[in-house]
Amino acid sequence: MPAESHAQSASAAASRNSARAHDGLTFNAATGRSDESSDAVGVRSLSKRFRGTTAVDDLSFSLRPGTITGFLGPNGAGKSTTLRLLLGLSEPTSGQALLFGHRYRDLEQPARRVGALLESGDYHPARTGRDHLRVLQIAANLPAARVEAVLEAVELEHAADQKVGTYSLGMRQRLGLAGALLGQPEVLILDEPSNGLDPAGVQWLRSTLRAFADEGGTVLVSSHALADVAETVDEALVIAGGRLVATIRIADLTAEGRTLEEAYLRLTTKEAA
Amino acid sequence: MTTQLRAELLKHRSTPTNLGLIATMAGLVVFAALFHGLTLPGRTIEAPDDQLKVVFGWGGILGTMFAALAGVLSVTAEHRFGTIRPTLLANPKRERVLVAKVFAAAIVGAPMGLLAGALAVGAGVIAFEIRGIPLSLDTGDYLTLVAGGTVAAALWAGIGVGIGTIIRGQVPAVTGVCAWLLFVETVILGSSDALGAVGRHFPGALGRAATGQDALLAPGLAAVFLALYLLLAVAAASIAARRDIV
Repeated sequence: MPAESHAQSASAAASRNSARAHDGLTFNAATGRSDESSDAVGVRSLSKRFRGTTAVDDLSFSLRPGTITGFLGPNGAGKSTTLRLLLGLSEPTSGQALLFGHRYRDLEQPARRVGALLESGDYHPARTGRDHLRVLQIAANLPAARVEAVLEAVELEHAADQKVGTYSLGMRQRLGLAGALLGQPEVLILDEPSNGLDPAGVQWLRSTLRAFADEGGTVLVSSHALADVAETVDEALVIAGGRLVATIRIADLTAEGRTLEEAYLRLTTKEAA
Repeated sequence: MTTQLRAELLKHRSTPTNLGLIATMAGLVVFAALFHGLTLPGRTIEAPDDQLKVVFGWGGILGTMFAALAGVLSVTAEHRFGTIRPTLLANPKRERVLVAKVFAAAIVGAPMGLLAGALAVGAGVIAFEIRGIPLSLDTGDYLTLVAGGTVAAALWAGIGVGIGTIIRGQVPAVTGVCAWLLFVETVILGSSDALGAVGRHFPGALGRAATGQDALLAPGLAAVFLALYLLLAVAAASIAARRDIV
């Protein structure tokens, strides 16, 4: 996307955002900007090797603001590794994984720009949902009111004072999403967010992500549930063996009368063969 | 830094882990001081040095060990439950998170050392009163015992954070700390004079020396040496903290 479009998109989103200040879904008007010179997410020649095994192999892609992009691939394809590299939890062997042109750790107030949900089990089971979020809110130097706003946004107020160990998988996913939304970020990076959600939860997730993208936010979502993804994403990146094998625009598939599942299976089966 | 410290303190407060550690520590200190004070032959616990080491000293030993465990668990629990990921997403500056964890553990560890020392003194005095054995320590000795135990527990809690950062696995880190403090150092200290002379500068022995249990090493100096171990642990941990999070 040209730099101009980046700026226009972000500016429009910021003005819309100011009208919906505390609904917990929109990104921060104060920092709601995309660097004009950089993609929201920019992965360039990214590789990661673990003791002789190549998990990510010369992967490159970039994401435009205002879009939801699916990140698809079979188990072990390198999806989660790529997301961890983007978020600075792992160091690339070579190449770059950048957000707004910077490494995650070099972003000023990263939680205000990027929200992430990586694993459904990233909670201390004896801590309450509210305390889990308060810890993150304090560490990220965010206003205390954000905790209540995101609890409301993910419809978890009723269970906020229960220990997370008592939560269902779906409730833990909602709590994880609440954590990702705490800083009203511009980018959401979600690893298998629909895991454990019931049909109503999947529907809720879909509308939440669509509202976020319509406000100008950028979403990268990995998933195995192709049917869910097909109805949620604008574009799908398919990786296999750590390499990008295809970029699929959902609108093109629909026009051709094909399903994402057909396209995905053909691509990943061919790659495996 | 301040915000990360506040977040780390909230982590300590918001799970029952530390309460469990404190309750266990308190029970063991009272049991050890009472048991030794009530059951050992009178002649073996009449001298000041014997009263200090055999009865009252349990406060320092158990206080530092449980404070160390609180420090270890504040890191290894993050890896065990995966909360290290949201922690480092909220604040990706790993050195700052490490330093905040060290300070938070010290703030939690100090009162644990204070409580352990006070309980040991209280239980020991009761045991001696019951048996009619005269107390041979003076007020300064008791103050050194409790104050030194407080400082040693705070420093050892920080060392525990360093150990937990280097050894991320909860079981090996916890068993390693317990084995070192309760077994390895004791074996080395009890071996040849040469090894014993080295061993009394090991961190566990320094913790005891900080409570006045080493006639050849002043408590203040022992605390300074222990603080150097803490700096060493933090330096090593800051390198270890750079490893990938999986």
